[in-house]
Amino acid sequence: MYKSQQVALKYFAAAIVLFGIMVVAGLLAATQYVHNGFLLNQLDFSITKILHIDTMILWLLMGFMGSIYWFLPGELNRETEGIKLAEIMFYILCGAIAIVALVFIVVQYGGANEFSMWFINQGRKYVEAPRWAAIGIVLVVAVFCYNIIATTIKAKKVTGIMGVLIVDLLPLFALYLIAFASITNMSEDLFWWWWLVHLWVEGTWEVLIGCIMAFSLMQLLGTERRIVETWLYIEVALVLGTGILGLGHHYFWIGTPGYWLAIGGLFSALEPLPLLGMVVHAVYDAGTHRMKTTNKPALYWMMAEAFGNFLGGGVFGFMMTLPQINLFSHGTQWTVSHGHFAFWGAYACGILSVIYLALQKAREIAEVNGGRWKWGFALLNLGMVGMVGALLISGIAQAFYERAIGGSTLQAFIEGQSNMWFVQGINARLIFGVMFALGYGVLVYDLLTLGKRKAVQPALLRPA
Amino acid sequence: MITQDPSFWRAGAISSTVVMSIVLIFLTVDSLSAIAPGGRNVPRYTVINQAIDYQFDAARNRSVPVIGGEQLLFGRKYSEKEAQALMDKGKLTIQSRACIDCHTFFGNGAYYAPDLTKAWLDPVWKQMWMPMTQSNTREEAMVKFLMDPDKYPTWGRQMPNLRITRVEAEAIVGYLKWMSSIDANGFPFGFKTAETQ
Amino acid sequence: MMELGPIGTALLLGIFVLFAGCYGLLYAIARLKERSTWMNAAYACYALQVVVTLLIVALTPLTLGWQLLVIVSCLAYFKLPAIAWSHLELTHSKAEVP
Repeated sequence: MYKSQQVALKYFAAAIVLFGIMVVAGLLAATQYVHNGFLLNQLDFSITKILHIDTMILWLLMGFMGSIYWFLPGELNRETEGIKLAEIMFYILCGAIAIVALVFIVVQYGGANEFSMWFINQGRKYVEAPRWAAIGIVLVVAVFCYNIIATTIKAKKVTGIMGVLIVDLLPLFALYLIAFASITNMSEDLFWWWWLVHLWVEGTWEVLIGCIMAFSLMQLLGTERRIVETWLYIEVALVLGTGILGLGHHYFWIGTPGYWLAIGGLFSALEPLPLLGMVVHAVYDAGTHRMKTTNKPALYWMMAEAFGNFLGGGVFGFMMTLPQINLFSHGTQWTVSHGHFAFWGAYACGILSVIYLALQKAREIAEVNGGRWKWGFALLNLGMVGMVGALLISGIAQAFYERAIGGSTLQAFIEGQSNMWFVQGINARLIFGVMFALGYGVLVYDLLTLGKRKAVQPALLRPA
Repeated sequence: MITQDPSFWRAGAISSTVVMSIVLIFLTVDSLSAIAPGGRNVPRYTVINQAIDYQFDAARNRSVPVIGGEQLLFGRKYSEKEAQALMDKGKLTIQSRACIDCHTFFGNGAYYAPDLTKAWLDPVWKQMWMPMTQSNTREEAMVKFLMDPDKYPTWGRQMPNLRITRVEAEAIVGYLKWMSSIDANGFPFGFKTAETQ
Repeated sequence: MMELGPIGTALLLGIFVLFAGCYGLLYAIARLKERSTWMNAAYACYALQVVVTLLIVALTPLTLGWQLLVIVSCLAYFKLPAIAWSHLELTHSKAEVP
């Protein structure tokens, strides 16, 4: 095994730990919706929420980086350049995350001064990490870019996937620099902030996961390079062709000009099309291989990725993306429902798939199967579908009672939040959240014991 | 067939990305001019010296901010420079207390607490908070609430005490007043201000 | 005629894409299994999508531009699975040629 792949396994381990913290923080935040006064003035909702969403970003990012460090040596037939540095950066990143988390939990917030921005909390959703830590993330991403580009140069070979990956790294790096801004004008602040959040999540990340899935397909199903590269280009063309101006659906209501209503609505209406293409593609791949693989969990998680992305991004997204609807659904639990489903489908499932693939190779397991992963898979996916269904009900109640008939005032907000449908939905979300957490527990147990359990009966093994 | 050639799709990916990026850059330049203070959609910070309302405009079929005559905040008139300083402080307070991780601004943020886009115009200050905090003005009621939210519990879900100082609270109030004057294409929908009620 | 509010409209739009997804999924399975039953089920889903499109046009407060967008995307969704599938077959068959 290459050193790069050993570093990748560390990234995966850290990602799974952060995934766990995300789940715990999510359960706390969900409880705060259900039980008034829970941890009030001790660990307020804002803090549990920050821990929930920031660890989500970080575990996905670490999952992406781990995936690339895993596949890179195989792709270029050589060790990753500067992998020692990458390993050092990994420990620095873990240390920084621990310190930031402690500061969030213990110090929580500071006064209205630059010191707070640099050392405590920047108070901008998703990028709350204080500036010193944001610099750390920039350095980690810079080293990551260096590893990939230097290895490609040394290998004197640019494959199609590597070309796409390298071009994608530049905006991935550059956009994060927006995380440092502290712009007084809220409209302008949100304008740039969406460049970071949307163009990362619905732009560079989509391309990154596309590259990772391309590597996975070649390894998991032995699909030919020419095919995966063609489809990667198609995906990039469609995803960025619709996604870049799809940014407009965040510019409906922040003070930006009215033309964004038309642009944002139009391009986001096109966004489900490539996602449907991926569903068709998934059926083709699974069908032509008759689901035969030596790594069932990796294949199932990859299928979950295609379907979850379509449902979470496509169906839930289209439901609320046209401006006439978004006026009511924007900023309600409806958005939360869409957000959970889309992040899960588009990224989380894909990374879990890669982790199963990597562990199979790392532990030299002839066939990954057994019953346990199925429990993890089922509990996590059912828990997620339950959560987004419950949140959808709450969101619809909120859109109706607070916005459509309530008039969006504080009193209307309270009435919306107290409405029976809203309350039932938010209660059900917690229950499904617990189910999801159980699934996480099973997943971790399965990952830890994979290949270390009693060997599968040789007679059941298919030729690898 | 040309569509089987990867280089055809590579060219497609590059061109669609480049074209869309260029369009985005043009729109960004225009949008930034529209949302700069004093731009088409966003008033100058000194708008806090004036009365602000939010009314339905039948011609545009949506609610729009309406800027009226002089209505001082905390009984003083802010110069351009003072208003800028107040806004800087207000935004820094909002960030340092991570307000956006419970509340929303223009519907962006967390959804645990009410949207603050038009909070300045909310009828609840006059109806509830002014009597409750024994204040004569809305801004005074807001400051008292922000400094000691646990003294004025409103409903089941409470705002935590974030040790907001008087200076910071005044800055937040000023910030919210300015924000309520921004034309956000009709968001929030159907908002009834104290005046329209 | 009865006009739906924003929530009814949103649900219809969601169902619209959901049927598109079912159609795409069943279409792909039908091509894979080469069985007409699956294809009939796929077309039934698409027929339902057309019905939802008509409902969106007839019942929702969406303005003309958005209604046209829904109609055009309904047509696009019809062709998309077939285009994707034939392209998949083409790329794979070409790859198999030494």
